[in-house]
Order: sequence, then C-alpha cells, then structure tokens
Amino acid sequence: MADADKPWTAFYEPNVRAQLEAPSYRNLADLVSSVAATYGTAKAFTCCLPNGMNGSLSFKQVDEMSDAFAAYLREVAGLKHGDRVAVQMPNCLSYPIVAFGIFKAGCVLVNVNPLYTTEEMAKQFQDAEPHALVIVDLFADKISEATKKHSIPNVIVTRVAEFFPVLPKGIVGLVQKYWDRSIKPIEVPHVRLPETLSSGRKQISKNRVEVSTYHQNITNDDIAVLQYTGGTTGVAKGAMLTHGNLTMNMEQSMELLGRGMERGQEIILTALPIYHIFAFTVNMLSFYWMGARNILIPNPRPLSNLKRAFENYKITWMSGVNTLFNGLCNEVWFTDSPPKHMKFAGAGGMALQSSVATRWREITGTEVLQGYGLTETSPVLTFEPVGKAREGTIGIPIPSTEVACFGENGERLPQGETGEIGARGPQIMKGYWNNPEETSKVMNGEWFMTGDIGVMDQDGYFRIVDRKKDMVVVSGFNVFPNEVEDVLATHPAVTETAVIGVPDGSTGEAVKAFIVSSDPNLSKDVLRAFCKEHLTSYKVPKIVEFREELPKSNVGKILRKDLRAEEMSREAAE
Amino acid sequence: MVDEFTQTLLGIMVAVIMLGMGASLTPRDFYLALKRPYGLAIGVVSQYGIMPLLGFILATVLVVPETIAIGILIMACMPGGTTSNIFTYFSKGNLALSVLMTVTSTLTGVIMIPLILLLYAAALDLEIPREDIIKVLIVLLVPVAIGMGLRKLSANVGAVVEFCGSILALFFIIFIMVTWVPQNWQFLLNTTPATYTAAIGLGLVGITIGYFFAKSLKLHPRNARTVALETGIQNGPLAIAIIVFSFPADQQQAIVAVPALYSLFIVIVSTLVTFVFRRANTAAEQKMPDSLL
Repeated sequence: MADADKPWTAFYEPNVRAQLEAPSYRNLADLVSSVAATYGTAKAFTCCLPNGMNGSLSFKQVDEMSDAFAAYLREVAGLKHGDRVAVQMPNCLSYPIVAFGIFKAGCVLVNVNPLYTTEEMAKQFQDAEPHALVIVDLFADKISEATKKHSIPNVIVTRVAEFFPVLPKGIVGLVQKYWDRSIKPIEVPHVRLPETLSSGRKQISKNRVEVSTYHQNITNDDIAVLQYTGGTTGVAKGAMLTHGNLTMNMEQSMELLGRGMERGQEIILTALPIYHIFAFTVNMLSFYWMGARNILIPNPRPLSNLKRAFENYKITWMSGVNTLFNGLCNEVWFTDSPPKHMKFAGAGGMALQSSVATRWREITGTEVLQGYGLTETSPVLTFEPVGKAREGTIGIPIPSTEVACFGENGERLPQGETGEIGARGPQIMKGYWNNPEETSKVMNGEWFMTGDIGVMDQDGYFRIVDRKKDMVVVSGFNVFPNEVEDVLATHPAVTETAVIGVPDGSTGEAVKAFIVSSDPNLSKDVLRAFCKEHLTSYKVPKIVEFREELPKSNVGKILRKDLRAEEMSREAAE
Repeated sequence: MVDEFTQTLLGIMVAVIMLGMGASLTPRDFYLALKRPYGLAIGVVSQYGIMPLLGFILATVLVVPETIAIGILIMACMPGGTTSNIFTYFSKGNLALSVLMTVTSTLTGVIMIPLILLLYAAALDLEIPREDIIKVLIVLLVPVAIGMGLRKLSANVGAVVEFCGSILALFFIIFIMVTWVPQNWQFLLNTTPATYTAAIGLGLVGITIGYFFAKSLKLHPRNARTVALETGIQNGPLAIAIIVFSFPADQQQAIVAVPALYSLFIVIVSTLVTFVFRRANTAAEQKMPDSLL
C-alpha cells in the first residue's frame, strides 16, 4: 500500500499509522498536565551525579512546581504571552520544571548552551531579547558581562543539586563552593528558583490565580521554543519551533519507535544535554509523554560519570551520539557488565559509524538505531525502524513526513539519485526568528532544505553522503569525509577520526585524516595502505596526522570546522 | 601511648572509613574483579609484592630499632588506602580501577597481610601477634559489608556514607596532628632521621616503582598513574588501628611512629605527585567542573 512518493511506508509495522492528523494536545502545557494526571506519584525525573547522589521528582510534583513557576513568571515577574525566557543549565531537576512552567505561562523558551562564552551569550540575548533568564549558579558569574548590551530584568538562579534531599544537596553545595570553588559570587540582582516557586504558589493559593488561563488560548501554531543553531550557513539563528512542531514530532517519533515500549515502565538515560534539540524532544518530551522515568546526567564527561547511573538504575533506553556510544564501548567498566535491561538505543546528532554500531551490538546484544534530523525540524525526520535497521542508513522517514532529494536547481530528483535532502511535515519550523532572509534561503516552497547530501535507496531508506559544505573535491572528484572516516574507524587501533579537505597544489584539495590511536606504533603508511584496500585511490588520505584527541562540541560531535580553521591558520602562517 | 578515648575514636574513624569503602561497592565489582585476573594480579603484585619488599629493604638498610622496623613492615604490608581514590581523581587517573584495586587489596589482605608479615618478620627475626592482626582485619570487614548494604538500600545514603568515609580518611592527618603529635612531641624530637626517611621513602619510592612497574606492563598512562598512586598510598589508619589493637601498650609508641609519620607525609607526597601527573596529562581539562568524585 506504499504510495509512490513514500515507498518507505511498506516498512512500518502494521499498527503504525502512516499519517498522524493533528497533535493530540492543544499545546505543550496541556500535555504536561494531562500526562501528570495519568502517572501521578510515579517518578518522572531523577538527576544522578557521578558519585551516585540523586534527587527525584514525580509527575505530580513536576506539574505542581511548573504551575507555580508559571504563576511567578506572569504575576511576579510580569511577563506576558510570547515573552522569551532564556534557560541556561545542564541536565538537572530544575530543567523540566522551568521548561514546562514557561510553556504554561504562554512564554517562549530560549535554550542557551551553558558552556557559551559571555560573547556568545550576549549575541544570543541581543537576538532573542529575553525578559527573564534562568541560569545555573556554576555559570552565573558570566551574567553581568553578557547582559551589557541587552539587559535582562529577571534573573533566576538554580543549582545542579536543586530539589535533592537535604544531606546530598548540602554536601554537593559545600563541595562546589569550597572544594571546587566553582561557584562564584553573582554580581547581579537575582532570585533563587525555590523562592520563585513559593511566591508562585502564594499567587495560586491566596490570589486565586488560575494557571490554565495563561495557556488556554495558546494554539499549536504559537511559538514554544527558540532553538539556536549554527545551521547550514554558519550564522547563529533562532529556529522558531511551535507547540505543534514539538508535540507532533514527539508523537511521530514515538509512533515509529514507541513499539515495544511500555507506558509507565521505561527507565531512560539522558546523558545528552536537554538544551540540545535531540534530547529535548526525544528524551524529555517523548519519554515524559510515555510515562517513563528520565535519569538526567548533568555532565557525562568523563564517561565514568555514567557508571553509577548504569549501576543504580535498570536503564531500558538511552540516546546518544556516535562519540558517546564509541566512548562507552571503550570503557572497561561498561564492556565488562553492559546494561542488561536495555531494549535499544537511539543515535542522532551526527553520523553513527557502522563499526561503532557493530561493537555496540556485540557488547550489549541490542541495536543502536540511527535517526536523523535538524534543529529546524524539531528535530526528527527519519529513524531506523525497530528490528529493521540497515547499516549505513539513517532509516526511513517517520510518519507524516516526506523526505526527498533535490538537484542543484531545486528540482526533485528521482529515487536513487544523490542530491540535497529536503523534507516537509508538521515538524518543520515556522522560520528563523527575526530573519526572513535566512528563512527563505532554506525553504524551497514548503520543503525545508537540510544542506545534507543524501540518497534514497530502492526501498525508501535514506543514506547521508555528507554535509554539502564538508565535501572535499580532489581533482574534480567528490570525496565525502564520512565515507573515509567510516573506513578508518574500522581499523582496530583507531579510536577516533576526522577527515577534512586541505588546499593542495596539484589536486586543488587533498584529503587529510586526523587520527586518535590506541597504539603508539601505528604508522601513517599502514593506515594509508589499509584505506587503499577499501577506497579508490583519490579518496585515500594524502596526509595523516596523529592527535591525542579531536575537538568536539559539547554534545560530542567531532568538529571538522575547528580542524579546518587550524589548517587555515597554519597555512596562513607559513 | 594511646589513651582509651583516642583508641575508641580511632576505632570509630577506621570503621567509618571502611563503611565508606563498602558503600562504593556492588556485588558486581567482585564478579568483575574475578573476571579480570590480569588486573587483579597487577594490584596484588604491586600491593603485596613490591611494597612489602620495599619495606623490608628499608628496614634492613636503614639503621632503626626493632620496634621501628616492625612499624615499617606493617605499614608496607597494608592494603591501598581510600585516599588513593581521591588523588587518582585529581591526577586524571582511572577512578574505577583505583576503587577496584583498593577493594581487592583490602579483601585479599585478610590472608595476604598476616602471611607476608610473618614471612618478612621471620626474615628480620621479629615477633608479631599474628592472631590478633587477623582478628582486627576480619572485624573491619563487617563495616565494609554494612556499607554495601546501605548502598543497596538507598543510592543517596550510600553516596553520603562513601563521601564521609573519603573525607574522614583525608582528615585523618588532622586527627594525628591533634592527638598523636603533641602527646609524642619529645619522642618525635628524639627520633632519628632514619625513621623519617623510612616514613617518607615508603610512599615516594612506592609510587615511583609502581609507576615504572605499570609502564613496563605497557598500561595506558591513565592506568599507570592509577597503579602508581595505588601502590604508594597505603591504608595508614588501618595500620595504626592494627597496632593499637594488637600490640602491648608499652611497645605501641615506637611501632606506631612510622605509620603515623607515613600518614602525615603521604598527603604531602601525593599532592606533589598529583601536580606532576596533572602536568603530564596533556588531555584538555574538562569543560564543566565536575564537583564530585
């Protein structure tokens, strides 16, 4: 019954709907409360520190506390419908309370990377113009500098161990303050998150504030989140994701992936930061909706920080990026006793190398399924269906999503031809915040153009060949770094690898490989010979450089652009 | 010379330290230790091969009275201390390995310590109360078991107990300085440089040999740093407890001298070593401060 444009629907399980009509909830605020009514006192979120200290919140508590926070934002801080609230914190119990509170208040959540420099923060604040900032104390020393150009009237400070039991909270606080000295004095006027909750509660109980009135008129077309992205062109832009975008993407993803999951039974590991769209939608929203218990990890690096979480909780599902799965496969404590209750894992954010997928399967006995998407698409577009994974592919489009490849002139290419991937569906963003020009660059009619080069096979599975801009041109031949990296990664002594193009006198560009190796005796010639066995000669790296480690983003993506910048400056210096 | 109050306090402190060690464990750790006999062997060799031999050499080469020699030997035969975990953490070593080695050496210690002590004591012609030492070791396994139970009961209680144990182990030095040093001031002034050499040398040389031992086995630098610290850092409080609970009071002052001095100096030695290791560790600093062990 697969229609011609959507051959992949043949791979949906019989009980998967190919088309989801409309979101099941009026908006995200409705979702939060109605899920809480179902699961009540079951644990919704647990924050687990590297030493095993932890705190938990039930569905009911998250609901009640986010009501209080919404009341604070509207009544005390004086925010209005559509006002932005910047949120800057690692995974911790405060995050869901604050995020859900913002939705209930009818405001817009602006995720800010907590590791941003003051300059980066300032830029984002200038663009998003938030009226309030919720920030974790670890990074609060940056506020005064970052808000010089756009001042933020309401600053709310929280901490990693907020809402933990008294003793662990006290110990963590003391250690951070006196041992790590990671908590610096905050120079701007601010309130603490628990204080905002108590004043919000007072508004509800004494002044009879009805939180539901804030969001009863919010529709699925209203903006819920401004999610900033470097995007395809490099300038940071805020993708406007609506209540409908996020709710639909959650339902679409779970329609395909939720099979085999039991509502109210799952325990999932959230080691990726929730301020990143993948964990935001898939881990936080989707699994909250599933009634799962979400184990939040504030800082997954070093990876041994995850050891206690794996020991103390029966993890049934986790999400990660290639680097995380690869790293875990190299941790002795993990490979010695891999999690026993895992159903499968989901990978996103960057290409999952097939060697990593294979090792993961060998070690854990379960699949790691790869998904694909972008910030602008809330983010999920495709996923490998459970039990029907295909090595090297990003799977098939999730329900209600159409994906196709496009040629240079924006024309739709037939199945099997390589071109830029475009997508349409209910998860495509409303546009970039205050930036119609950039929006028009990425839209091709109602199709969102991803900037990734890919191809659809005869069954409707997609494969990413590479990023448009990462492609290396060697004497006119296109080399896609992913392909070379995939080969290098299969060498037993290679732990991590990145491939870029560098200027070359004779071939225009040459392929250069950066290698992190576990064997100090591994030679460049051996590696090149190894590549020759698997690749045409123009794809074989001309230059090989060994490194102790590779530059990575905070979600663990290897940053080719940083390596390219290094090469450029070295080139310039010479 | 240890009065009854100090003795009780000492007992409680050691018990809490062992309780904390227990709370860091799950039954899975034992299973894993057995599954990896190679790692286990490295730990046992460094802890009960290298260190006692080093102690024996120091006790022979340095000119010290018999009681001091017993102190050196006992100190050298002790299992790894929980403080090694803290220093491993700050040296960017392998924390999981450190914990595993500490635990393995503590548990195997029940058999290994009396055996090795007996061997070297016989070689040096020294008298030691073997049965009493075994008794103290076994009694101290009880809090380890309780700690494991607490962890099972609640991850939070376990983590808090573990944390208190580590802190207490670190602050043991203050306990010694406040109670033992003033009481034995005159004795310390009369103590020969040889005794001080032994107390400092045991840790410093132990760490150095441990490092090159691990290097010769081609261990990853992270693991080599861990084995080094694990080898050199001994369980000082345990040594003092054993002496106080198994030797007659009149001998205690002299026998306890090396373990007490060792416990004081090891903190300084380990801190210096940590600085060296950190400098050697070229890997970038973590971006987010991770506050807790």
